[in-house]
Amino acid sequence: MMRVRGLFLGVCIAGFACGVSAAPLIEPPSLVEQVKAGKLPPIERRIPLEPSRVEGDNLKPGQYGGSLRMLMGRAKDIRMMIVYGYARLVGYDRHYDIVPDLLKSVKVEDGRIFTLTLRKAHKWSDGHPFTSEDFRYYWEDVATDGVISPYGPPKALLVDGKPPVFDVIDETTVRYTWPKPNPFFLPALAGASPLYIYRPAHYLKKFHGRYMPADELNAKVKKARKRDWRALHFSVDRQYRNDNLDLPTLQPWKTATRPPSDRYIFKRNPYYHRIDVNGRQLPYIDESIINISSSKLIAAKAGSGEVDLQARGLQFKNYTFLKRGEKRNNFTVRRWLTAKGSQMALYPNLNATDSVWRKLMRNVNFRRALSMAINRHEINEVVYFGLALESNNTVLPNSPLFEPSWQKRWAEFDLKKANQLLDDIGLTERDGQGIRLLPDGRPLEIIVETAGEDSDQADVLQLVTDSWRKAGIKLFTKPTRREVLRRRSIAGSTVMSIWFGLENGVASNTSSPEELAPTRDGQLNWPKWGINFQTSGQGGEVVDIAEAKRLLELNAAWSVATTAEQRTLIWKEMLEIHADQMFSIGLISGVLQPVVVNNALRNVPLRGVYNWDPGAHFGLYRPDTFWYEKP
Amino acid sequence: MLTYLFRRLATMVVSMLVISFLIFIIIQLPPGDYLTTYIEELKAQGEVVDPKKVEFLRAQYGLDKSMSEQYFVWVSGLLQGDFGYSFEFNLPVSEVVGDRLWLSMVLNFSTVIFVYLVAFPIGVYSATHQYSWGDHGLTFIGFIGLATPNFLLALILLYFANVWFGTSIGGLMEPRFVDQPWTYDKVMSVLAHLWVPVVVIGTSGTAGMIRRLRANLLDELQKQYVVTARAKGLSEGRLLIKYPMRMALNPFIADIGSLLPQVVSGSVIVSAVMSLPTTGPMLLSALQSQDMYLAGSFLIFLAMLTVVGMFVSDVLLALLDPRIRLEGGLRK
Repeated sequence: MMRVRGLFLGVCIAGFACGVSAAPLIEPPSLVEQVKAGKLPPIERRIPLEPSRVEGDNLKPGQYGGSLRMLMGRAKDIRMMIVYGYARLVGYDRHYDIVPDLLKSVKVEDGRIFTLTLRKAHKWSDGHPFTSEDFRYYWEDVATDGVISPYGPPKALLVDGKPPVFDVIDETTVRYTWPKPNPFFLPALAGASPLYIYRPAHYLKKFHGRYMPADELNAKVKKARKRDWRALHFSVDRQYRNDNLDLPTLQPWKTATRPPSDRYIFKRNPYYHRIDVNGRQLPYIDESIINISSSKLIAAKAGSGEVDLQARGLQFKNYTFLKRGEKRNNFTVRRWLTAKGSQMALYPNLNATDSVWRKLMRNVNFRRALSMAINRHEINEVVYFGLALESNNTVLPNSPLFEPSWQKRWAEFDLKKANQLLDDIGLTERDGQGIRLLPDGRPLEIIVETAGEDSDQADVLQLVTDSWRKAGIKLFTKPTRREVLRRRSIAGSTVMSIWFGLENGVASNTSSPEELAPTRDGQLNWPKWGINFQTSGQGGEVVDIAEAKRLLELNAAWSVATTAEQRTLIWKEMLEIHADQMFSIGLISGVLQPVVVNNALRNVPLRGVYNWDPGAHFGLYRPDTFWYEKP
Repeated sequence: MLTYLFRRLATMVVSMLVISFLIFIIIQLPPGDYLTTYIEELKAQGEVVDPKKVEFLRAQYGLDKSMSEQYFVWVSGLLQGDFGYSFEFNLPVSEVVGDRLWLSMVLNFSTVIFVYLVAFPIGVYSATHQYSWGDHGLTFIGFIGLATPNFLLALILLYFANVWFGTSIGGLMEPRFVDQPWTYDKVMSVLAHLWVPVVVIGTSGTAGMIRRLRANLLDELQKQYVVTARAKGLSEGRLLIKYPMRMALNPFIADIGSLLPQVVSGSVIVSAVMSLPTTGPMLLSALQSQDMYLAGSFLIFLAMLTVVGMFVSDVLLALLDPRIRLEGGLRK
């Protein structure tokens, strides 16, 4: 079945039930006052009866105290605390296996029946019990409520457009049953920006038309200056935005500063469900602080010691600057791996409207020639100090699916072969400057459109320009804006664009392979086919290349596959097609992410992987287990 | 004088109306709206956005209405003191702006004072000691100030302020004072941070002001009444302050009108670079994410500042210089 390890061990992980002698619980010093004053119940009555006991080879049990300072570029980035906190119903562990976290256990039958069991006496951050009622409220009063969700439940809860049957078994057990397997369900719950299938019902009922008398609710709507109660409910019910102080949470830290501000403080959640082997309730660190600063200044501020843990806003090119501040400001810069298939990749638009270009871009030998006329080694040495990977756009070596041949196929710098391929296509005519001519007499000038956000792209494209010239191809860079780039590529005005490579370069066979197939309008190499898939055949254009059709078939086959072997085979075939067909031309990958870490901070891995999903940036390493060594 | 005031006020109202219209059009000019930008961001992070949900959100934010309708809602709100709603912050604009408005005023006011304090003595010195080493030296420094890009100067000063004085980079105060009640330490911290942006924003204004004052004063110094006064035995210092300097003050006051917008717009870029808690960076990010009511309110505020600045300088000039008043009367 699915690679979901330890899901059935939930009971034993929570040492109590297994009879393992548990250390006495230790009250966090920062809460002692409140407990004494009677404002908070003592720790025994705050944590669940079966708390999640944190153990691990690479985890050192720590001590309470300190505050964790971070920087973000915009006020709405306080949602990153939800990402870093990473308390999920189920979450990825360091091996990218999905394990229960908020949940005590998950039972999966046939890949379609999911039974979720909560921890007994688990509580929200305001002390109210977290029970199956919170799941029921979401399903009945939010997801399928005609007023709040006129567009129906979110996509990850639908299989072939059909919602699950939802049952409340008892106070701590709920069940979702689909007619067919739903491989997207658990990954969506474990996501960096997760699918929330529960809500703090006791709080949100105060804003729901079904639970509140109309006049009282209208008064609230008026006071909040909203259009109606739906808009009011919508604005208070955003767990991911993390900006509503009154919304209870299950995360390790809870927002304590009311927006707007330039400095947000997050206090420990006294009801958090995880404890360490010594009986200390996590998180170790009492408060996290996010200072909002211009994103351009983050590197400068990090280098002057204003952060304890920072990766967002830092780029590889800041590495030397940061390194210089290490001694003066008592931090260390660590180099983490990134997990994108490519740091940047060229996307030939197979849906270009210009028929001459479209024909050329659809010619696989043309794409191969373009790739072989790129000197990836030079790019690596010039822009990345030789520390990156000279690879095509495919999975990274630390993915279980990796095969070395995908990295290099059609990606070795060989101008002779590239020129030969171009000649064979029939692009033999050249103009006075040695630039090849298109069949209709125009010069072969490729305009690469960029989102204009990354200055490294300009440097790399300059190097590509030089080597393509030697193959008789002229390259122009056209910086636009992100939305403009998308719109132009969807319209077919773009011939080629540059963007990141595969989103998930550390994919395993349980990750969805949909980004390899034409499934989204945002895919710059075949946006119109993506639209066609998204609209179930109503919009866009029908896929008319055999290999791309095969990718779609394989993608469909993956979601109904029942064994791990089948899934692996499907993944491998899809990656093989990509490596051979060069639907995107990867330029460089494995660019390192500098991470600034305070020297006193413990349990931060020396060399981690910095990725959005799966990974949730630091979330995978559970910042609630980080702690400060006292000097 | 009264009719003069009345006419000026009437023009102000009309200009503000035209400006509000222009602002709204310009904010709407880039393709798409707040939601398009927002959705792009979600997509960039690998999230899949349901098209049906997008439509729902668009209706929630009132972005499905026609442009003229949106404009009317906004302007009628403005007249009632309601600045609209910020999409990005999910709060009414007035709450979002909060402290920023008056911190920008402090910053801009300090800059204007700085410009005057520095420009005045230097300008007078340059004029009275024309073509001396001092004049050449100060002119040289002034031109460098005029030619250096603000943001570059900002970054250099920030770096050295951090390395030498330990001032935290960016912002108007140490991070620990943010959102704290005002204390002596907090004020000191603000002062320790304030000088960098003030110097940076002020340099080009100062340089320009020195040149203008010098030129004006030079003109006056050649006039016959100066020769007469000197012949009557007035001491040089007294003479300078009593007559030509007063005449040369005109551009100083006329400049209030043009200096204000110059300082305010200059401070947008510098504030963004230095991440100051003023209106500048917020205006920039609001424009980028097309958070239209927030951006619109800021722009209206800036326009208001300019229009009022112009008005004040006109009135002051009219009060100060009878020639302006009388000429106004004669033309009628």
